[in-house]
Amino acid sequence: MRTRWFSFIIVLVILVGCTGRSSKSALTKINLPMGYVANVQFSPFYMGKERGYFEKAGFDVTFDYRWETDGIQLVAAGEIPFSVASGDQVIQARSRGLPVVAVAAWYQKFPVAVIALENTPLNSPADMRGLRIGIPETFGASYIGLRALLKAGGLTEADIDLQTIGYTQLAALTAGTVDAVVVYANNEPVVFTREGTAFNALYVSNYANLVSAVIVSNDTMIKEHSKEVEAFVTAFLAGLNDVIADPDAAFKVCGAYIEGLEENAIAQRGVLDTSIEFWRTPHLGRFDAAAWEEAQTVMLEIGLIEKTMPVETLFTNAFAQ
Amino acid sequence: MAARTTTKSNGNHNQTPFRHLPFYLFSLGLCFLIWQTAVLWIADTPRRFLLPTPGEVVARFTKLAGNGVLLHNASVTLLEMGLGLLVGTTLAVLLGYGVAHSKFIAYLLEPVIVTSQAVPIVALAPLLTVWFGPGLASKVVVCALIVFFPILVNVVTGLKNIDPRLRDLFRMLEAPRYQVIVKLEIPAALPAFLAGLKVSGTLAGMGAVVGEFVASTRGLGYLVKQGQNLYDLPMMFVAIITLMAIALVVYSLLGLVERRTLRWSVQDTTASYSEEVA
Repeated sequence: MRTRWFSFIIVLVILVGCTGRSSKSALTKINLPMGYVANVQFSPFYMGKERGYFEKAGFDVTFDYRWETDGIQLVAAGEIPFSVASGDQVIQARSRGLPVVAVAAWYQKFPVAVIALENTPLNSPADMRGLRIGIPETFGASYIGLRALLKAGGLTEADIDLQTIGYTQLAALTAGTVDAVVVYANNEPVVFTREGTAFNALYVSNYANLVSAVIVSNDTMIKEHSKEVEAFVTAFLAGLNDVIADPDAAFKVCGAYIEGLEENAIAQRGVLDTSIEFWRTPHLGRFDAAAWEEAQTVMLEIGLIEKTMPVETLFTNAFAQ
Repeated sequence: MAARTTTKSNGNHNQTPFRHLPFYLFSLGLCFLIWQTAVLWIADTPRRFLLPTPGEVVARFTKLAGNGVLLHNASVTLLEMGLGLLVGTTLAVLLGYGVAHSKFIAYLLEPVIVTSQAVPIVALAPLLTVWFGPGLASKVVVCALIVFFPILVNVVTGLKNIDPRLRDLFRMLEAPRYQVIVKLEIPAALPAFLAGLKVSGTLAGMGAVVGEFVASTRGLGYLVKQGQNLYDLPMMFVAIITLMAIALVVYSLLGLVERRTLRWSVQDTTASYSEEVA
Protein backbone atom coordinates (compact mmCIF):
# COMPACT_ATOMS: atom_id res chain seq x y z
CA MET A 1 0.00 0.00 0.00
CA ARG A 2 2.80 2.34 1.02
CA THR A 3 4.71 1.48 -2.18
CA ARG A 4 1.64 2.22 -4.29
CA TRP A 5 1.20 5.63 -2.63
CA PHE A 6 4.88 6.33 -3.11
CA SER A 7 4.68 5.42 -6.83
CA PHE A 8 1.60 7.58 -7.21
CA ILE A 9 3.36 10.59 -5.69
CA ILE A 10 6.43 10.03 -7.89
CA VAL A 11 4.28 9.87 -11.03
CA LEU A 12 2.37 12.98 -9.92
CA VAL A 13 5.60 14.88 -9.32
CA ILE A 14 6.93 13.88 -12.75
CA LEU A 15 3.70 14.88 -14.44
CA VAL A 16 3.58 18.25 -12.70
CA GLY A 17 7.26 18.75 -13.52
CA CYS A 18 6.71 17.92 -17.15
CA THR A 19 3.73 20.22 -17.37
CA GLY A 20 5.72 23.07 -15.86
CA ARG A 21 8.66 22.46 -18.14
CA SER A 22 6.60 22.16 -21.25
CA SER A 23 4.82 25.45 -20.69
CA LYS A 24 8.15 27.23 -20.26
CA SER A 25 10.03 25.44 -22.99
CA ALA A 26 7.19 26.13 -25.42
CA LEU A 27 8.35 29.75 -25.52
CA THR A 28 11.04 30.56 -28.04
CA LYS A 29 13.59 32.87 -26.51
CA ILE A 30 14.48 35.88 -28.66
CA ASN A 31 17.00 38.55 -27.80
CA LEU A 32 15.68 41.10 -30.28
CA PRO A 33 18.25 43.52 -31.77
CA MET A 34 16.72 47.01 -31.66
CA GLY A 35 19.40 49.09 -33.43
CA TYR A 36 19.38 51.92 -30.88
CA VAL A 37 19.43 52.54 -27.14
CA ALA A 38 16.36 51.89 -24.99
CA ASN A 39 13.88 54.56 -26.03
CA VAL A 40 10.18 55.39 -26.00
CA GLN A 41 10.22 54.75 -29.75
CA PHE A 42 10.37 51.07 -28.89
CA SER A 43 7.15 51.26 -26.91
CA PRO A 44 5.27 48.90 -29.29
CA PHE A 45 7.73 46.16 -28.35
CA TYR A 46 7.59 46.98 -24.65
CA MET A 47 3.82 47.01 -24.86
CA GLY A 48 3.81 43.67 -26.71
CA LYS A 49 5.87 42.16 -23.93
CA GLU A 50 4.04 43.73 -21.00
CA ARG A 51 0.61 42.82 -22.32
CA GLY A 52 1.70 39.26 -23.05
CA TYR A 53 1.25 39.43 -26.83
CA PHE A 54 4.69 37.99 -27.53
CA GLU A 55 4.26 35.30 -24.90
CA LYS A 56 0.88 34.35 -26.33
CA ALA A 57 2.55 34.11 -29.73
CA GLY A 58 5.12 31.72 -28.26
CA PHE A 59 8.05 34.08 -27.72
CA ASP A 60 10.01 35.08 -24.66
CA VAL A 61 11.37 38.40 -25.91
CA THR A 62 14.25 40.33 -24.39
CA PHE A 63 15.75 43.46 -25.92
CA ASP A 64 19.24 43.83 -27.28
CA TYR A 65 20.24 47.40 -28.09
CA ARG A 66 22.99 46.53 -30.52
CA TRP A 67 23.60 48.14 -33.92
CA GLU A 68 21.10 47.29 -36.61
CA THR A 69 23.83 46.00 -38.94
CA ASP A 70 24.74 43.37 -36.35
CA GLY A 71 21.09 42.37 -36.03
CA ILE A 72 20.72 42.02 -39.79
CA GLN A 73 23.83 39.85 -40.02
CA LEU A 74 22.65 37.59 -37.22
CA VAL A 75 19.24 37.19 -38.87
CA ALA A 76 20.93 36.43 -42.20
CA ALA A 77 23.12 33.84 -40.49
CA GLY A 78 20.10 32.19 -38.91
CA GLU A 79 21.37 32.92 -35.40
CA ILE A 80 18.20 34.80 -34.52
CA PRO A 81 14.84 34.84 -36.32
CA PHE A 82 13.98 38.55 -36.14
CA SER A 83 15.51 41.96 -35.85
CA VAL A 84 14.48 45.60 -36.01
CA ALA A 85 16.17 47.63 -38.75
CA SER A 86 15.54 50.37 -41.26
CA GLY A 87 14.34 49.33 -44.69
CA ASP A 88 17.44 50.70 -46.39
CA GLN A 89 19.51 48.22 -44.39
CA VAL A 90 17.40 45.40 -45.81
CA ILE A 91 18.07 46.71 -49.32
CA GLN A 92 21.77 47.09 -48.56
CA ALA A 93 22.08 43.62 -47.04
CA ARG A 94 20.04 41.95 -49.74
CA SER A 95 22.21 43.56 -52.40
CA ARG A 96 25.20 41.88 -50.70
CA GLY A 97 23.49 38.51 -50.88
CA LEU A 98 22.25 38.33 -47.29
CA PRO A 99 18.89 36.48 -47.33
CA VAL A 100 16.94 38.97 -45.20
CA VAL A 101 13.35 40.06 -45.83
CA ALA A 102 11.18 42.73 -44.22
CA VAL A 103 8.09 41.04 -42.77
CA ALA A 104 6.26 43.99 -41.20
CA ALA A 105 6.34 47.76 -41.60
CA TRP A 106 6.68 49.83 -38.47
CA TYR A 107 7.29 53.48 -39.45
CA GLN A 108 5.00 54.51 -42.26
CA LYS A 109 6.73 57.84 -42.89
CA PHE A 110 10.48 58.35 -43.19
CA PRO A 111 11.49 60.03 -39.90
CA VAL A 112 14.41 62.14 -41.11
CA ALA A 113 14.50 65.92 -41.36
CA VAL A 114 16.92 68.76 -41.98
CA ILE A 115 16.64 71.53 -39.41
CA ALA A 116 18.21 74.95 -39.07
CA LEU A 117 17.94 77.79 -36.60
CA GLU A 118 15.29 80.39 -37.38
CA ASN A 119 17.71 82.78 -39.10
CA THR A 120 18.35 80.20 -41.84
CA PRO A 121 15.27 79.91 -44.05
CA LEU A 122 14.26 76.39 -45.08
CA ASN A 123 11.05 76.82 -47.01
CA SER A 124 11.87 74.24 -49.64
CA PRO A 125 14.68 71.75 -50.32
CA ALA A 126 16.19 74.22 -52.81
CA ASP A 127 16.97 76.49 -49.84
CA MET A 128 19.70 74.06 -48.80
CA ARG A 129 21.93 75.33 -51.61
CA GLY A 130 25.24 76.63 -50.26
CA LEU A 131 24.52 75.65 -46.66
CA ARG A 132 26.99 73.88 -44.39
CA ILE A 133 25.01 70.79 -43.46
CA GLY A 134 26.08 68.46 -40.66
CA ILE A 135 25.22 64.78 -40.88
CA PRO A 136 26.01 61.93 -38.45
CA GLU A 137 27.27 59.54 -41.14
CA THR A 138 27.47 59.37 -44.89
CA PHE A 139 25.40 56.21 -45.01
CA GLY A 140 22.19 54.90 -43.50
CA ALA A 141 18.81 56.56 -43.14
CA SER A 142 20.12 60.09 -42.48
CA TYR A 143 22.20 60.15 -45.63
CA ILE A 144 19.52 58.57 -47.78
CA GLY A 145 16.98 61.07 -46.44
CA LEU A 146 19.27 64.00 -47.17
CA ARG A 147 19.96 62.80 -50.69
CA ALA A 148 16.24 62.40 -51.32
CA LEU A 149 15.69 65.98 -50.13
CA LEU A 150 18.49 67.28 -52.34
CA LYS A 151 16.96 65.46 -55.28
CA ALA A 152 13.58 67.00 -54.52
CA GLY A 153 15.18 70.45 -54.55
CA GLY A 154 17.00 69.82 -57.81
CA LEU A 155 20.33 69.87 -55.97
CA THR A 156 23.30 67.56 -55.72
CA GLU A 157 25.80 67.02 -52.92
CA ALA A 158 28.15 69.43 -54.69
CA ASP A 159 25.64 72.23 -54.04
CA ILE A 160 26.05 71.99 -50.27
CA ASP A 161 28.99 71.79 -47.86
CA LEU A 162 28.35 68.40 -46.26
CA GLN A 163 30.18 67.76 -42.98
CA THR A 164 30.23 64.49 -41.08
CA ILE A 165 29.79 65.45 -37.43
CA GLY A 166 28.70 62.25 -35.70
CA TYR A 167 25.69 62.36 -33.39
CA THR A 168 26.43 65.90 -32.24
CA GLN A 169 23.87 67.68 -34.38
CA LEU A 170 22.24 70.04 -31.90
CA ALA A 171 25.56 71.02 -30.35
CA ALA A 172 27.03 71.71 -33.79
CA LEU A 173 23.98 73.69 -34.87
CA THR A 174 23.80 75.84 -31.76
CA ALA A 175 27.57 76.37 -31.80
CA GLY A 176 27.25 77.64 -35.37
CA THR A 177 29.79 75.22 -36.85
CA VAL A 178 27.13 74.22 -39.38
CA ASP A 179 24.06 76.00 -40.81
CA ALA A 180 21.74 72.98 -40.75
CA VAL A 181 21.79 69.39 -39.55
CA VAL A 182 20.22 66.12 -40.55
CA VAL A 183 18.25 64.70 -37.62
CA TYR A 184 15.59 62.19 -36.70
CA ALA A 185 12.34 64.07 -37.07
CA ASN A 186 10.85 62.52 -33.95
CA ASN A 187 13.79 63.37 -31.72
CA GLU A 188 15.88 66.55 -32.08
CA PRO A 189 13.01 68.83 -33.22
CA VAL A 190 11.13 67.73 -30.10
CA VAL A 191 14.11 68.75 -27.96
CA PHE A 192 14.27 72.17 -29.65
CA THR A 193 10.55 72.69 -29.25
CA ARG A 194 10.73 71.85 -25.58
CA GLU A 195 13.68 74.22 -25.07
CA GLY A 196 11.82 76.97 -26.88
CA THR A 197 14.45 77.23 -29.60
CA ALA A 198 12.89 78.45 -32.83
CA PHE A 199 13.90 76.44 -35.87
CA ASN A 200 13.02 75.71 -39.48
CA ALA A 201 12.63 72.17 -40.73
CA LEU A 202 12.35 70.21 -43.94
CA TYR A 203 10.76 66.82 -43.40
CA VAL A 204 11.86 64.15 -45.88
CA SER A 205 8.45 62.49 -45.71
CA ASN A 206 6.92 65.62 -47.28
CA TYR A 207 9.07 65.23 -50.37
CA ALA A 208 9.84 61.53 -50.75
CA ASN A 209 8.16 58.21 -50.05
CA LEU A 210 10.94 56.06 -48.59
CA VAL A 211 10.70 52.81 -46.67
CA SER A 212 11.55 53.21 -43.01
CA ALA A 213 11.92 51.01 -39.89
CA VAL A 214 10.75 47.42 -40.31
CA ILE A 215 10.78 43.98 -38.71
CA VAL A 216 13.30 41.76 -40.46
CA SER A 217 13.42 37.99 -40.83
CA ASN A 218 15.11 35.66 -43.30
CA ASP A 219 14.19 33.45 -46.26
CA THR A 220 14.37 30.22 -44.25
CA MET A 221 12.03 31.50 -41.55
CA ILE A 222 9.51 32.64 -44.13
CA LYS A 223 9.65 29.35 -46.01
CA GLU A 224 9.88 26.88 -43.17
CA HIS A 225 8.45 28.66 -40.13
CA SER A 226 5.85 31.00 -41.56
CA LYS A 227 3.48 30.37 -38.62
CA GLU A 228 6.12 31.69 -36.17
CA VAL A 229 6.76 34.70 -38.35
CA GLU A 230 3.07 35.45 -38.55
CA ALA A 231 2.69 35.03 -34.79
CA PHE A 232 5.57 37.38 -34.08
CA VAL A 233 4.31 40.02 -36.52
CA THR A 234 0.81 39.77 -35.08
CA ALA A 235 2.15 40.26 -31.55
CA PHE A 236 4.22 43.26 -32.61
CA LEU A 237 1.28 44.83 -34.42
CA ALA A 238 -0.93 44.31 -31.38
CA GLY A 239 1.62 46.22 -29.30
CA LEU A 240 1.85 48.94 -31.96
CA ASN A 241 -1.90 49.25 -32.13
CA ASP A 242 -2.14 49.57 -28.34
CA VAL A 243 0.48 52.33 -28.24
CA ILE A 244 -1.32 54.35 -30.90
CA ALA A 245 -4.64 53.83 -29.12
CA ASP A 246 -3.37 54.61 -25.63
CA PRO A 247 -0.10 56.59 -25.51
CA ASP A 248 -0.50 57.26 -21.77
CA ALA A 249 -0.46 53.56 -20.97
CA ALA A 250 2.42 53.02 -23.37
CA PHE A 251 4.47 55.73 -21.73
CA LYS A 252 3.91 54.14 -18.33
CA VAL A 253 5.03 50.77 -19.67
CA CYS A 254 8.23 52.35 -21.06
CA GLY A 255 9.25 53.32 -17.52
CA ALA A 256 10.17 49.70 -16.79
CA TYR A 257 12.55 49.56 -19.73
CA ILE A 258 14.18 53.00 -19.89
CA GLU A 259 16.47 54.30 -17.19
CA GLY A 260 15.87 57.94 -16.30
CA LEU A 261 12.57 58.21 -18.16
CA GLU A 262 10.83 59.84 -15.23
CA GLU A 263 13.42 62.64 -15.04
CA ASN A 264 13.01 63.34 -18.77
CA ALA A 265 9.33 62.61 -18.96
CA ILE A 266 8.20 65.79 -20.76
CA ALA A 267 10.75 65.56 -23.58
CA GLN A 268 10.36 61.80 -23.97
CA ARG A 269 6.60 62.04 -24.02
CA GLY A 270 7.04 64.51 -26.86
CA VAL A 271 9.22 61.99 -28.68
CA LEU A 272 6.57 59.30 -28.24
CA ASP A 273 3.71 61.50 -29.42
CA THR A 274 5.71 62.62 -32.47
CA SER A 275 6.76 59.04 -33.25
CA ILE A 276 3.18 57.85 -33.18
CA GLU A 277 2.39 60.24 -36.02
CA PHE A 278 5.05 58.49 -38.07
CA TRP A 279 3.49 55.06 -37.36
CA ARG A 280 -0.16 55.90 -37.86
CA THR A 281 -1.86 54.23 -40.83
CA PRO A 282 -5.12 52.41 -41.53
CA HIS A 283 -3.09 49.32 -42.47
CA LEU A 284 -0.61 48.68 -39.71
CA GLY A 285 2.35 46.54 -40.72
CA ARG A 286 1.74 46.69 -44.46
CA PHE A 287 4.32 47.94 -46.94
CA ASP A 288 3.94 50.26 -49.87
CA ALA A 289 5.96 48.83 -52.78
CA ALA A 290 6.52 52.35 -54.12
CA ALA A 291 8.47 53.26 -50.97
CA TRP A 292 10.88 50.39 -51.62
CA GLU A 293 11.23 51.42 -55.26
CA GLU A 294 12.02 55.00 -54.34
CA ALA A 295 14.48 54.01 -51.62
CA GLN A 296 16.31 51.78 -54.09
CA THR A 297 16.44 54.58 -56.67
CA VAL A 298 18.04 56.96 -54.16
CA MET A 299 20.49 54.30 -52.94
CA LEU A 300 21.46 53.50 -56.51
CA GLU A 301 22.13 57.17 -57.24
CA ILE A 302 24.25 57.48 -54.12
CA GLY A 303 26.18 54.35 -55.06
CA LEU A 304 25.19 52.38 -51.97
CA ILE A 305 23.89 49.59 -54.21
CA GLU A 306 25.03 48.60 -57.68
CA LYS A 307 21.63 47.64 -59.09
CA THR A 308 18.03 47.63 -58.00
CA MET A 309 16.32 44.38 -57.05
CA PRO A 310 12.73 43.24 -57.55
CA VAL A 311 10.86 44.68 -54.57
CA GLU A 312 9.10 41.37 -53.89
CA THR A 313 12.47 39.96 -52.81
CA LEU A 314 12.84 42.71 -50.21
CA PHE A 315 9.55 42.57 -48.33
CA THR A 316 6.35 40.65 -47.91
CA ASN A 317 2.89 41.72 -46.84
CA ALA A 318 1.91 38.10 -46.21
CA PHE A 319 2.13 38.38 -42.43
CA ALA A 320 0.55 41.77 -41.79
CA GLN A 321 -3.05 40.96 -42.54
CA MET B 1 82.52 43.17 -18.00
CA ALA B 2 80.33 46.05 -19.05
CA ALA B 3 81.76 46.07 -22.56
CA ARG B 4 81.16 42.33 -22.91
CA THR B 5 77.52 42.64 -21.89
CA THR B 6 76.97 45.44 -24.35
CA THR B 7 78.56 43.51 -27.17
CA LYS B 8 76.41 40.50 -26.44
CA SER B 9 73.38 42.68 -26.28
CA ASN B 10 74.12 44.30 -29.63
CA GLY B 11 74.79 40.94 -31.16
CA ASN B 12 71.35 39.78 -30.10
CA HIS B 13 69.76 42.87 -31.56
CA ASN B 14 71.39 42.41 -34.91
CA GLN B 15 70.14 38.85 -35.11
CA THR B 16 66.64 39.52 -33.80
CA PRO B 17 64.67 40.10 -37.00
CA PHE B 18 66.01 37.00 -38.71
CA ARG B 19 66.09 34.79 -35.64
CA HIS B 20 62.41 35.37 -34.99
CA LEU B 21 61.22 35.37 -38.58
CA PRO B 22 60.30 31.65 -38.66
CA PHE B 23 58.24 32.09 -35.49
CA TYR B 24 56.42 35.08 -36.96
CA LEU B 25 55.74 33.21 -40.19
CA PHE B 26 54.56 30.17 -38.29
CA SER B 27 52.26 32.33 -36.16
CA LEU B 28 50.79 34.02 -39.24
CA GLY B 29 50.43 30.68 -41.01
CA LEU B 30 48.59 29.26 -38.01
CA CYS B 31 46.15 32.19 -37.98
CA PHE B 32 45.53 31.74 -41.70
CA LEU B 33 44.96 28.01 -41.21
CA ILE B 34 42.45 28.58 -38.41
CA TRP B 35 40.67 31.20 -40.51
CA GLN B 36 40.50 28.95 -43.58
CA THR B 37 39.30 26.01 -41.47
CA ALA B 38 36.55 28.17 -39.97
CA VAL B 39 35.50 29.29 -43.46
CA LEU B 40 35.31 25.68 -44.66
CA TRP B 41 33.45 24.69 -41.50
CA ILE B 42 30.66 27.19 -42.10
CA ALA B 43 30.74 27.21 -45.90
CA ASP B 44 27.44 25.39 -46.30
CA THR B 45 25.64 27.10 -43.45
CA PRO B 46 23.99 30.52 -43.24
CA ARG B 47 26.83 31.51 -40.91
CA ARG B 48 28.98 32.05 -43.99
CA PHE B 49 27.64 35.63 -43.96
CA LEU B 50 29.58 36.27 -40.75
CA LEU B 51 33.07 35.47 -42.04
CA PRO B 52 34.67 36.31 -45.40
CA THR B 53 37.09 33.91 -47.03
CA PRO B 54 40.80 34.78 -47.17
CA GLY B 55 40.43 34.93 -50.96
CA GLU B 56 37.68 37.57 -50.72
CA VAL B 57 39.81 39.64 -48.37
CA VAL B 58 42.85 39.40 -50.62
CA ALA B 59 40.74 40.44 -53.62
CA ARG B 60 39.32 43.41 -51.67
CA PHE B 61 42.80 44.35 -50.50
CA THR B 62 44.09 44.32 -54.06
CA LYS B 63 41.23 46.55 -55.18
CA LEU B 64 41.53 49.01 -52.28
CA ALA B 65 45.31 49.15 -52.59
CA GLY B 66 45.10 49.50 -56.37
CA ASN B 67 42.73 52.47 -56.41
CA GLY B 68 44.60 54.26 -53.62
CA VAL B 69 41.71 54.16 -51.14
CA LEU B 70 43.66 52.08 -48.62
CA LEU B 71 46.76 54.27 -48.76
CA HIS B 72 44.70 57.46 -48.45
CA ASN B 73 42.80 56.23 -45.41
CA ALA B 74 45.84 54.64 -43.80
CA SER B 75 47.79 57.89 -44.16
CA VAL B 76 44.97 59.80 -42.44
CA THR B 77 45.03 57.38 -39.51
CA LEU B 78 48.83 57.52 -39.37
CA LEU B 79 48.72 61.33 -39.27
CA GLU B 80 46.23 61.25 -36.40
CA MET B 81 48.36 58.67 -34.58
CA GLY B 82 51.57 60.63 -35.12
CA LEU B 83 50.15 63.95 -33.95
CA GLY B 84 48.37 62.30 -31.02
CA LEU B 85 51.57 60.57 -29.99
CA LEU B 86 53.49 63.82 -30.24
CA VAL B 87 51.01 65.83 -28.19
CA GLY B 88 50.41 63.06 -25.63
CA THR B 89 54.12 62.34 -25.20
CA THR B 90 55.04 66.00 -24.79
CA LEU B 91 52.39 66.53 -22.15
CA ALA B 92 53.22 63.28 -20.37
CA VAL B 93 56.94 64.10 -20.21
CA LEU B 94 56.35 67.64 -18.94
CA LEU B 95 53.78 66.62 -16.35
CA GLY B 96 55.71 63.48 -15.45
CA TYR B 97 58.75 65.59 -14.72
CA GLY B 98 56.67 67.85 -12.51
CA VAL B 99 55.04 64.97 -10.67
CA ALA B 100 58.40 63.25 -10.08
CA HIS B 101 60.02 66.40 -8.66
CA SER B 102 57.26 68.17 -6.80
CA LYS B 103 55.11 66.61 -4.15
CA PHE B 104 52.73 69.53 -4.54
CA ILE B 105 52.23 68.85 -8.23
CA ALA B 106 52.02 65.13 -7.57
CA TYR B 107 49.29 65.54 -4.95
CA LEU B 108 47.51 68.00 -7.21
CA LEU B 109 47.61 65.98 -10.41
CA GLU B 110 47.77 62.32 -9.46
CA PRO B 111 44.12 61.93 -8.40
CA VAL B 112 42.91 63.69 -11.53
CA ILE B 113 45.19 61.72 -13.81
CA VAL B 114 44.40 58.36 -12.23
CA THR B 115 40.64 58.86 -12.12
CA SER B 116 40.65 60.20 -15.67
CA GLN B 117 42.05 56.86 -16.76
CA ALA B 118 38.97 55.14 -15.38
CA VAL B 119 36.80 56.96 -17.92
CA PRO B 120 36.48 54.81 -21.06
CA ILE B 121 37.74 56.76 -24.03
CA VAL B 122 34.77 55.58 -26.12
CA ALA B 123 32.51 57.42 -23.68
CA LEU B 124 34.59 60.58 -23.90
CA ALA B 125 35.10 60.57 -27.66
CA PRO B 126 31.64 61.92 -28.61
CA LEU B 127 32.11 64.81 -26.16
CA LEU B 128 35.55 65.54 -27.56
CA THR B 129 34.01 65.64 -31.03
CA VAL B 130 31.60 68.31 -29.84
CA TRP B 131 34.33 70.32 -28.12
CA PHE B 132 37.05 70.05 -30.76
CA GLY B 133 34.95 69.55 -33.87
CA PRO B 134 34.61 66.52 -36.13
CA GLY B 135 37.93 67.10 -37.90
CA LEU B 136 41.52 66.18 -37.17
CA ALA B 137 41.73 67.94 -33.78
CA SER B 138 39.28 65.66 -31.95
CA LYS B 139 41.07 62.52 -33.19
CA VAL B 140 44.44 63.90 -32.12
CA VAL B 141 43.05 64.67 -28.67
CA VAL B 142 41.62 61.15 -28.33
CA CYS B 143 44.99 59.67 -29.35
CA ALA B 144 46.85 61.99 -27.00
CA LEU B 145 44.63 61.00 -24.08
CA ILE B 146 45.20 57.32 -24.75
CA VAL B 147 48.99 57.55 -25.08
CA PHE B 148 49.42 60.00 -22.23
CA PHE B 149 49.09 57.71 -19.21
CA PRO B 150 51.57 54.89 -19.99
CA ILE B 151 54.27 57.44 -20.83
CA LEU B 152 53.56 59.55 -17.78
CA VAL B 153 53.73 56.56 -15.44
CA ASN B 154 56.98 55.36 -17.00
CA VAL B 155 58.57 58.81 -16.93
CA VAL B 156 57.70 59.23 -13.25
CA THR B 157 58.96 55.73 -12.45
CA GLY B 158 62.17 56.30 -14.40
CA LEU B 159 62.88 59.58 -12.65
CA LYS B 160 62.00 58.33 -9.19
CA ASN B 161 64.20 55.25 -9.56
CA ILE B 162 67.38 57.20 -10.15
CA ASP B 163 70.06 56.03 -7.74
CA PRO B 164 70.17 58.61 -4.90
CA ARG B 165 73.95 58.24 -4.79
CA LEU B 166 74.14 59.55 -8.36
CA ARG B 167 71.99 62.52 -7.38
CA ASP B 168 74.32 63.11 -4.42
CA LEU B 169 77.31 62.96 -6.75
CA PHE B 170 75.83 65.59 -9.09
CA ARG B 171 74.97 67.72 -6.06
CA MET B 172 78.50 67.39 -4.67
CA LEU B 173 79.93 68.41 -8.02
CA GLU B 174 77.53 71.35 -7.99
CA ALA B 175 76.30 70.44 -11.44
CA PRO B 176 73.92 73.03 -12.90
CA ARG B 177 70.27 72.10 -13.43
CA TYR B 178 70.57 71.51 -17.16
CA GLN B 179 73.49 69.14 -16.62
CA VAL B 180 71.49 67.15 -14.08
CA ILE B 181 68.73 66.88 -16.63
CA VAL B 182 70.91 66.07 -19.62
CA LYS B 183 73.59 63.91 -17.99
CA LEU B 184 71.58 62.16 -15.28
CA GLU B 185 67.82 62.34 -15.51
CA ILE B 186 67.27 61.88 -19.23
CA PRO B 187 69.63 58.91 -19.54
CA ALA B 188 68.25 57.35 -16.37
CA ALA B 189 64.59 57.77 -17.32
CA LEU B 190 65.11 56.91 -20.99
CA PRO B 191 64.66 53.12 -20.75
CA ALA B 192 61.36 53.46 -18.90
CA PHE B 193 60.22 56.30 -21.18
CA LEU B 194 60.94 54.29 -24.32
CA ALA B 195 59.17 51.24 -22.92
CA GLY B 196 56.12 53.46 -22.32
CA LEU B 197 56.45 54.96 -25.79
CA LYS B 198 56.39 51.51 -27.37
CA VAL B 199 53.13 50.66 -25.62
CA SER B 200 51.66 54.07 -26.40
CA GLY B 201 52.64 53.87 -30.06
CA THR B 202 50.38 50.88 -30.53
CA LEU B 203 47.62 52.40 -28.39
CA ALA B 204 47.64 55.50 -30.61
CA GLY B 205 46.07 53.42 -33.38
CA MET B 206 43.23 52.53 -31.06
CA GLY B 207 42.70 56.21 -30.24
CA ALA B 208 42.56 57.19 -33.89
CA VAL B 209 40.00 54.49 -34.65
CA VAL B 210 37.83 55.45 -31.67
CA GLY B 211 37.84 59.06 -32.90
CA GLU B 212 37.03 57.99 -36.44
CA PHE B 213 34.18 55.83 -35.23
CA VAL B 214 32.45 58.87 -33.73
CA ALA B 215 32.62 61.12 -36.79
CA SER B 216 34.79 60.83 -39.87
CA THR B 217 34.87 60.62 -43.61
CA ARG B 218 38.29 59.04 -43.88
CA GLY B 219 40.72 56.87 -41.98
CA LEU B 220 40.93 53.15 -41.35
CA GLY B 221 38.30 53.37 -38.59
CA TYR B 222 36.00 54.98 -41.12
CA LEU B 223 36.68 52.11 -43.55
CA VAL B 224 35.77 49.59 -40.82
CA LYS B 225 32.55 51.45 -40.10
CA GLN B 226 31.76 51.85 -43.78
CA GLY B 227 32.38 48.13 -44.34
CA GLN B 228 30.06 47.30 -41.47
CA ASN B 229 27.26 49.49 -42.79
CA LEU B 230 27.60 48.21 -46.32
CA TYR B 231 27.86 44.57 -45.17
CA ASP B 232 31.23 44.57 -46.88
CA LEU B 233 33.05 42.24 -44.47
CA PRO B 234 36.14 41.88 -46.69
CA MET B 235 36.62 45.67 -46.54
CA MET B 236 36.31 45.56 -42.74
CA PHE B 237 38.93 42.81 -42.62
CA VAL B 238 41.30 44.74 -44.91
CA ALA B 239 41.05 47.82 -42.70
CA ILE B 240 41.48 45.81 -39.48
CA ILE B 241 44.46 43.86 -40.84
CA THR B 242 46.03 47.13 -42.01
CA LEU B 243 45.58 48.55 -38.51
CA MET B 244 47.25 45.48 -37.06
CA ALA B 245 50.13 45.81 -39.53
CA ILE B 246 50.54 49.48 -38.63
CA ALA B 247 50.61 48.63 -34.92
CA LEU B 248 53.23 45.96 -35.58
CA VAL B 249 55.39 48.31 -37.65
CA VAL B 250 55.09 51.13 -35.10
CA TYR B 251 55.99 48.74 -32.28
CA SER B 252 58.96 47.38 -34.22
CA LEU B 253 60.20 50.86 -35.18
CA LEU B 254 59.95 52.12 -31.62
CA GLY B 255 61.69 48.93 -30.48
CA LEU B 256 64.46 49.69 -32.96
CA VAL B 257 64.71 53.25 -31.68
CA GLU B 258 64.86 51.87 -28.16
CA ARG B 259 67.67 49.48 -28.99
CA ARG B 260 69.67 52.09 -30.90
CA THR B 261 69.17 54.75 -28.24
CA LEU B 262 70.08 52.47 -25.35
CA ARG B 263 73.18 50.94 -26.91
CA TRP B 264 75.25 52.63 -24.23
CA SER B 265 73.29 50.90 -21.52
CA VAL B 266 75.54 48.69 -19.38
CA GLN B 267 72.73 46.37 -18.45
CA ASP B 268 70.61 44.98 -21.19
CA THR B 269 67.43 46.65 -20.00
CA THR B 270 66.19 47.02 -23.53
CA ALA B 271 65.45 43.38 -24.13
CA SER B 272 61.86 43.16 -25.10
CA TYR B 273 59.46 40.72 -23.57
CA SER B 274 59.52 38.55 -26.64
CA GLU B 275 63.31 38.40 -26.56
CA GLU B 276 63.23 37.32 -22.94
CA VAL B 277 60.71 34.65 -23.73
CA ALA B 278 62.74 33.48 -26.70
